[in-house]
Amino acid sequence: MIALESVAIGIARRILVSDIDARIGAGEFVAVLGPNGVGKTTLLRAMSGIRPAISGHIALDGVALRSLSPSQRAQAIAFVTSDDAMIETLRVRDVVAIGRFPHHPWWEWSSNAHDDSAIERALLAVDLRNEAQRLLTTLSSGERQRVWIAMGLAQETPVLVLDEPTSHLDVRVAHEILALLRNLAREGRTIVCVLHDLNDAAAYADRLMLLGCERMLAFDVPDRVLAPELIERAYGISVTRVETPQGPRVFAAVRA
Amino acid sequence: MTGWRLPAILAVTLLACAVSLLAGGSAIAPSAIARALEHPYAHDDVTTIVWQLRMPRVAIAAAVGAALAIGGALLQGMLRNPLVDPYLTGVSAGAAAAIALAVLAGVAAPVLPALGFVAGLLTALLVAALARRGSGVDPNRLILAGISISALFSAIVAFAIARSNSLDAAQSILAWLAGSMAGHGWHDLLFVTPYLVLGAALALLAVPALDALRVGDVRARAVGVDVDRAQWLILASTSLLAAASVALAGMVGFVGLIVPHVARRIVGSGARALLPACALLGAALCTLADAVARSVVAPSELPIGVLLAFIGVPAFLYLYLQQERPA
Repeated sequence: MIALESVAIGIARRILVSDIDARIGAGEFVAVLGPNGVGKTTLLRAMSGIRPAISGHIALDGVALRSLSPSQRAQAIAFVTSDDAMIETLRVRDVVAIGRFPHHPWWEWSSNAHDDSAIERALLAVDLRNEAQRLLTTLSSGERQRVWIAMGLAQETPVLVLDEPTSHLDVRVAHEILALLRNLAREGRTIVCVLHDLNDAAAYADRLMLLGCERMLAFDVPDRVLAPELIERAYGISVTRVETPQGPRVFAAVRA
Repeated sequence: MTGWRLPAILAVTLLACAVSLLAGGSAIAPSAIARALEHPYAHDDVTTIVWQLRMPRVAIAAAVGAALAIGGALLQGMLRNPLVDPYLTGVSAGAAAAIALAVLAGVAAPVLPALGFVAGLLTALLVAALARRGSGVDPNRLILAGISISALFSAIVAFAIARSNSLDAAQSILAWLAGSMAGHGWHDLLFVTPYLVLGAALALLAVPALDALRVGDVRARAVGVDVDRAQWLILASTSLLAAASVALAGMVGFVGLIVPHVARRIVGSGARALLPACALLGAALCTLADAVARSVVAPSELPIGVLLAFIGVPAFLYLYLQQERPA
């Protein structure tokens, strides 16, 4: 379980969001929502232990995140980002294999059979098994996105934190990735991810965390978070809520 | 994947060393060289030439080539920039400035390598201090600091050459800038060996992190790399290796830039195979270049730095343009 108590996050000394209190249980799928620049990525990095929170306490299964070594943290939490780094001549499989880094002490240079099977499973999960030997530079942005997800999967962590995993993906692949994350949650993994599509978030996540106005506006089931007044407060846009057999959906009011 | 490739590169390197042993001002038959190698304590001219002149040259050239190529691969990997070389840390410029000023002041020649080594390391420390951000290193700041400090020290070298009132002093500064292994022996190699070994050991420690750093600092942190520690390890390793090679042979350019590119083409970019491949290919290139440098205009010598630039620039442009060409 991930527990956040009175957490404030920001960049340099500028606080973006403060007073975040939340508990995310094992096997839960949480979507983090909010407008651009509100602090979603910064929050995810703090939850992953990559960048410390400005204040407050973040714990994983009762253990303070900051007390874990980088390797211990990476065996517990995988962080998937879609920011594109400048990539030299790397092949898809080599990138996914980097996910196995935390499972080896520094003096152990060679991979083992378990690494190979973890990499194979990760490639299979994102449908990239046939592309394993391709150079990353020859892939589309959507395919590269799946490579980053596979790298996170290869880490085999109980918690998977993903920053906009469906960006650059077409609608079919985006839904396949969300279905994959949903299945991982069913298997007991904790999934926290930033999504921009409110209806995708409502369709796949157990709970939605809505950030806006420098605070956490809501952290609840989709039915309660997709309230037009909350969405309007967070994004500054009017929405219409429609009830469907699959649950509530919201649509931005289009101005002619 | 690399299977036969590393042993093949090793064979090429050994062949290059053998060719370099055969090259020199006096023509010696391979069988005589083999005899001298078998009997290192024999009292004849061939044994003296082989053990006191050619062997140390081959060993120094191999050490310099390996050190520069490893340093280049480390920095290129850490900065994810294929255009940097180990001199980016300011080592060569700092050493050059110190040596130029020392020559101007009339400091004795045997002191110069040690002085260059210390000045090179101090410059690397200065560049690292300027590039520091938080507990780690900012790659952009490192590049900016390295280029700026190198430019400053290059200006000091130019000033020293302009102010030198003897042709000998100016020539000895220029000879050092052009790179050469002439006049160096076992004692010079012995002096830098501890630093070469330490630099190589630090490089080995950085190998696993180097692979992860290639996909960006954030992703490297996400898989558990202590990025700050890895950056300092790489900087320390590169600085030691570059300073040791500068002390041995002056400024030998292009090896640290080109060899990692060639090695990546042969064994891929995984650091586990890349670093040994770089060490071997760097050693092969420098020993061959040194053999050519002391053979083509014997009994005088071409500066190895100049020779490598003549070979290196076209080779680099070819490799880089090939790489950029769409598949």
